[in-house]
Amino acid sequence: MNPWPVVLADLRSLRWVAWIAPLLVAIAVSVGVALSAQERGLRQASARAADDFDLLIGAPGSQTQLVLTTVYLQPEALPLIDGAVLAALSADPRVKAAAPIAFGDISRGYPIVGTTSAFASRWGRLTPAEGRFFAAESEAVVGADVRLALGQSITPAHATAGHPAPLGVEVAEEAHHRHEGVHYTVVGRLPRFGSPWDHAILVPVESVWEIHGLGNGHADEDGERVGPPFDAAKVPGVPAIVIKPRSVADAYTLRGVYRRGGTMAFFPAEVLVAVYRTLGDVRDLLLVAAILNDVVVFAAVSILLLALAGLRRRRYAVLRALGASRAYVLATAWLGAAAILAAGCLAGLVLAQLTVVAVTSVVEARTGLAIPAAIGLTDSLPIAGLMAIGSLLALMPAFAAFRIPVADTLR
Amino acid sequence: MRSFAEREARKQIPFRLNRNLLYQFMSGRIFYGEPVSTSPENAPPQRVSVDALTVERTKKDRAAIAILNDLSLTLAPGATAAITGPSGAGKTTLLHALAGLRRPDSGAIHWGDQNIWAWPERQRDRWRRDAVGFVFQDFQLFPELGVLDNILLPTRFDHWRAPQSLRERALALAEQAGIATLAARAGSLSRGEQQRVAVARALIRHPALLLADEPTASLDRENGTRVTDLLLGLAQKVGASVLVVTHDSAVLGRVGTVYRLEAGRLVGAPQAAP
Repeated sequence: MNPWPVVLADLRSLRWVAWIAPLLVAIAVSVGVALSAQERGLRQASARAADDFDLLIGAPGSQTQLVLTTVYLQPEALPLIDGAVLAALSADPRVKAAAPIAFGDISRGYPIVGTTSAFASRWGRLTPAEGRFFAAESEAVVGADVRLALGQSITPAHATAGHPAPLGVEVAEEAHHRHEGVHYTVVGRLPRFGSPWDHAILVPVESVWEIHGLGNGHADEDGERVGPPFDAAKVPGVPAIVIKPRSVADAYTLRGVYRRGGTMAFFPAEVLVAVYRTLGDVRDLLLVAAILNDVVVFAAVSILLLALAGLRRRRYAVLRALGASRAYVLATAWLGAAAILAAGCLAGLVLAQLTVVAVTSVVEARTGLAIPAAIGLTDSLPIAGLMAIGSLLALMPAFAAFRIPVADTLR
Repeated sequence: MRSFAEREARKQIPFRLNRNLLYQFMSGRIFYGEPVSTSPENAPPQRVSVDALTVERTKKDRAAIAILNDLSLTLAPGATAAITGPSGAGKTTLLHALAGLRRPDSGAIHWGDQNIWAWPERQRDRWRRDAVGFVFQDFQLFPELGVLDNILLPTRFDHWRAPQSLRERALALAEQAGIATLAARAGSLSRGEQQRVAVARALIRHPALLLADEPTASLDRENGTRVTDLLLGLAQKVGASVLVVTHDSAVLGRVGTVYRLEAGRLVGAPQAAP
């Protein structure tokens, strides 16, 4: 038995409907799949970006804002904690490493982040993709996506909190707020993090303090040295300190200790979990809407296919008169309808992938996060379910064809 | 070569366990059992006897009216006959009952010594596929398919791909039907060409009984003559019995016997063609 010649003839006879019906199904199906894949990608990318930020310490306030500013480099004015905390943490035996993070300046739209060479190398995990790490106050290393060449000189400018500047260009506002006379020379390029730090220019934190007239955090006899240890008496206020604890137990102890007094300590994951919960709720809501959308479109297309089976009654009756069994007619009608629904589901997968790639590129450009733009197996599974449902729905026109009274229909 | 009786006996086995199931499904054997060879000798013409056939139709007021009323006729193997009569006389209903498509309310249609309406539907479908060819007034081709695909369509009911012998036969039938453009879609052919393709389709499986419902009614005289020549000529070649419903005097003059049907009954004696 080979019903395909008749199925293909039926599909050809549909002309534009054979394209429109799968397209409608594809659009309906792609919404849910793209949504699920996008949310998962965003979740993975944002979690990965926070990998090296084990414990954050900042001034009491919004934990979310501290994470957004420190991990995702969304510029915002943060309250400062006493610089002595940095010295105390550096001397704490439960702390493997501590690095201050200082913000406030930009160059050609790229945020300038003051920190230590140790944190720039993510606690020694990374080596520069090009050049070396900074070793003097006038040196800088740039993120993988910063369009500056090694040896190039830049001048920092005051950034305006809450107003992200366009990347790679120096706008008039930036030129107006330049720290004239201060220059950094690019000496290295970092490998790609897949985070907003790929767009950052990393400089010694001492230089950031000095530009703003706060000293350099070291005793006078230390001169121009960069990096820890810092002098407790000389370190100015810092917006955030990143801690690498020696152990998990130490991490929890430190979090408890630095939650008291004038500091706030937390794991970025705590904030992310809360954000993901909210994101998950929104996703669930949108997925319900997408499923309702699928139901409406599948119902509409099924009714269309049922109507088409009605219009093709005479063709099916002719097949029976020529000797086809009821099973052949059923297979023909079922395959035709199932092919349309299955083609719609598969096209939906392709459309979802294209949507994810397009939306991801926009989100990546805005956030700097490297979001995996791929539809996973878990995203595709609902498609298999929809195809199964489509196959069952296709039985409606198939049974309508199966039951036609041949002689009456031929008249 | 298996006999017809042997084949019928084998059909009672739904599928054989020593065959690959998927292959059986793809080739249609799960539905049909072992395929029957479609060579001419495998479906020999049989005497067709219509015995006291009555077909009724129920009106809206649930009253039954007879479309065919106690009708009897016989068609000898290889004979040609025509049925004529006014519209609504029951000609097409008789043809449908003969093809196993319209169940009679009483009476019987015998194929040889077997009543086709006593068979299960599956067997009747198989008999229609193997032994009956059907030509419609309005061709009923699949316009989206090519000429050869249309002619080979009845072979798809139990073959994934038509056997080479049938493909060669399709080419030969197309040539005899005067269809030069085999690659063309059927919908692009003229009406006369379409009906000739429909005749070729009806004959592809070497039917023993050819039924035609007004085959020339929608054609001009020239095309009508070509279709009649083809229909009767090819049927005679394979030794098929032919029953044509027609008003066309040119056709009536070419068949062995003419029956006149009025109000569900045969009237007058069967007439030999002039």
